[in-house]
Amino acid sequence: MFQLRYPYLSMTLVSGLLTIYSVTANAAEAKESAQEPLELRQQIERLQQDYQSQIDALKKRLDEGHSSSVTNSSQQSSSLRIGLSGLFAAGGSSVDNATLANLQAGGHDPKQNGFTLQNVELSIAGTVDNYLDAQANLIYLMNPKGETVMELEEAFFTTRNLPAGLQIKGGQYYTEFGRQNKQHPHTWGFVDQPVILSRFFGGDGLRSQGARVSWLMPTDTYSELTFGMQNPKGETVTSFLNAEGEEIGGYTLTDRRARNAADLLYSARWLGGIDLSDNLSMNVGVSGLWGPNASGTTTDTQIVGADLYLKWQSAYSQKGYPFVAWHTEFLQRRYEAGDVAREVLKDQGYFSQVLWGFKPGWVAGLRWEYADADGNTSADPLRDTRKRLSPNLTWYTSEYSKVRLQYNRDWAEHLPNKTADSVWLQVEFSLGSHMAHTF
Amino acid sequence: MKISYKHFLWLLGLAIVSGSLHAALKVETTTQDLAAIAKAVGGDYIHVHSLTKGTRDPHYAVAKPSMIRKVYGADLLLVIGADMEIGWLPSLLQSARNSRVQPGNPGYLDLSEAVPLLGKLQGPVSRDMGDVHAKGNPHYWLDPRNGVRMAKAIALRLGQLDPEHVTEYQKNVELFEKTLKTRLQDWKKTLQHLQGKPIIAYHTSFVYLADAFGFRIIDEVEPKPGITPSAASLAKLIARIKKERIDLLIMEPYYERRSARYLNEKTGLQIAVIPQSVGAQAGIETYIDLFDSIVKNLKFKEEN
Repeated sequence: MFQLRYPYLSMTLVSGLLTIYSVTANAAEAKESAQEPLELRQQIERLQQDYQSQIDALKKRLDEGHSSSVTNSSQQSSSLRIGLSGLFAAGGSSVDNATLANLQAGGHDPKQNGFTLQNVELSIAGTVDNYLDAQANLIYLMNPKGETVMELEEAFFTTRNLPAGLQIKGGQYYTEFGRQNKQHPHTWGFVDQPVILSRFFGGDGLRSQGARVSWLMPTDTYSELTFGMQNPKGETVTSFLNAEGEEIGGYTLTDRRARNAADLLYSARWLGGIDLSDNLSMNVGVSGLWGPNASGTTTDTQIVGADLYLKWQSAYSQKGYPFVAWHTEFLQRRYEAGDVAREVLKDQGYFSQVLWGFKPGWVAGLRWEYADADGNTSADPLRDTRKRLSPNLTWYTSEYSKVRLQYNRDWAEHLPNKTADSVWLQVEFSLGSHMAHTF
Repeated sequence: MKISYKHFLWLLGLAIVSGSLHAALKVETTTQDLAAIAKAVGGDYIHVHSLTKGTRDPHYAVAKPSMIRKVYGADLLLVIGADMEIGWLPSLLQSARNSRVQPGNPGYLDLSEAVPLLGKLQGPVSRDMGDVHAKGNPHYWLDPRNGVRMAKAIALRLGQLDPEHVTEYQKNVELFEKTLKTRLQDWKKTLQHLQGKPIIAYHTSFVYLADAFGFRIIDEVEPKPGITPSAASLAKLIARIKKERIDLLIMEPYYERRSARYLNEKTGLQIAVIPQSVGAQAGIETYIDLFDSIVKNLKFKEEN
């Protein structure tokens, strides 16, 4: 954000010059008609000297520049961070585009043979005042019809200094469920989102409007409890009220609305973190979701999950390499469906992935996924028994760009051939503020 | 037993005394160098802990959950600044929900503001230039004179947060300055042979060390800061080393050694792996230890 200081100074300079010009011009006119030209000229000269000295002072500041003005602009940049990241993919699959759309159910997944613009994200974050920090993420993407879609992905505030380790977040935000759900596509270790998350939380992850309070517990090791309430309706609250006309397990959803506080989406999460040694850290989390669903008038959904993250980093690491990170999540859903003959749909699944940064800038990844549901669901692409193996290789060309090659081997009951093979090449760039390093 | 008024007062007094005994300031630092200097100044009146280890490059740290807990409990946070911690400190501060150590408050001290920074960039800055820091080179702790400046700034801040021990902090910082000044004379004498000598560094991290001991860093193994050397960039460097008869390369322990070994094979250039931070190698626990070790490593190269 160092450029910011120039516009200010140059504007001051320009306006100074303009003032001189107008003073001189006015003075020139005045001189012709004036009765006391000498006095006027002296006045003009005085004015010119005044402005000249001001301009000189400004120039001097500009030349000295960096010490004072950089400090100012750095304070500005630390209070407002703006970044734009673009994520593109190209590739192909052994199945056609219509089938592929079912396999790659994530909203930002590459899901057509050829090129996909996965995600262009504009992110603005900063400190509002003494009380609040805030952040907004705007997403631009192109749907398979070639139309540009803009989404308000997130816009939320967090409190800065509540007592007793408490923090409140409010607005539109990704629900803190598990580790992966609130991660943005450009921080993912793979080109697509896990199958089980697409099934439970839809293409865009679980996010909605609401508020949550989190408590950093006064224990020696890191332990955080989060409790939240969010609006249960909308396409990004897939397993709950969702949107009218959508289908889950053969049930068409109605336009059910939240009638009272009991009809909201409730979430709870506990996250513990501990350093097992200087080189090995562990995160363990459990999460739960409770809320109504729109397959009936009194039907509810519950989702529970557990997540484990282990990261090893060499004691002597260059740029954070070498490292090994292991991330596993398990999720289970209980979905009450229908009013007349009430049925309980049970779905579950997990994914487990390892990322190995073997030399600076280079990461090899391997992900294994499994998802299924009780009952005969083999024809439903979102509830059949599904397995996927995804090896990949990523080259982080710098902190601001990367190139990734991934192979997906799919086993899915709903496919006529039962399997599919896909290869994706992904490129990312980011502009603007330095992105946070993810743990 | 009936608890009398006297007993109660006695217990209250005990509680206050034990409370004040545990009231030592909790100081968190982003690097072990800062922790070592803070320890020298604060002595037993403060608890110091570093968020990162000296064996790693602090620029590439990540905000681990354990760090959130530490920063939450801190009374004072010491940072290197000049964008050194930009990849992890902003998100850490947001998660740590401790207003005492937020920038702008007395519990936040950016030491880059206490020293004259070298390598500030003039003119347009582009990311094409590699990992450049427009605000200046952040490796300033590698000049003992800056160590004194940092110690003074820390002492001043500790005195503001804990006025009870102002005189102790002042005494400690005077002793620290005296010791460093004496030792600096010895170190300079030992490294006399490096005066005015052209040297190659792996990364742009030793400009302050060169400034303090009077040698010149004329090139880096990295073609641009943070960019891994390529065969072509190494070939160019080899030509320069031969032409200008450069015979010493200095580098941090955590960088890859392959490029250095290659340069050594091709030109006979000597390699000195020198610790860049307190804690970078076993046995380096204080700020003085750091320079003792650096000087020892550079002295050894003369005898070879």
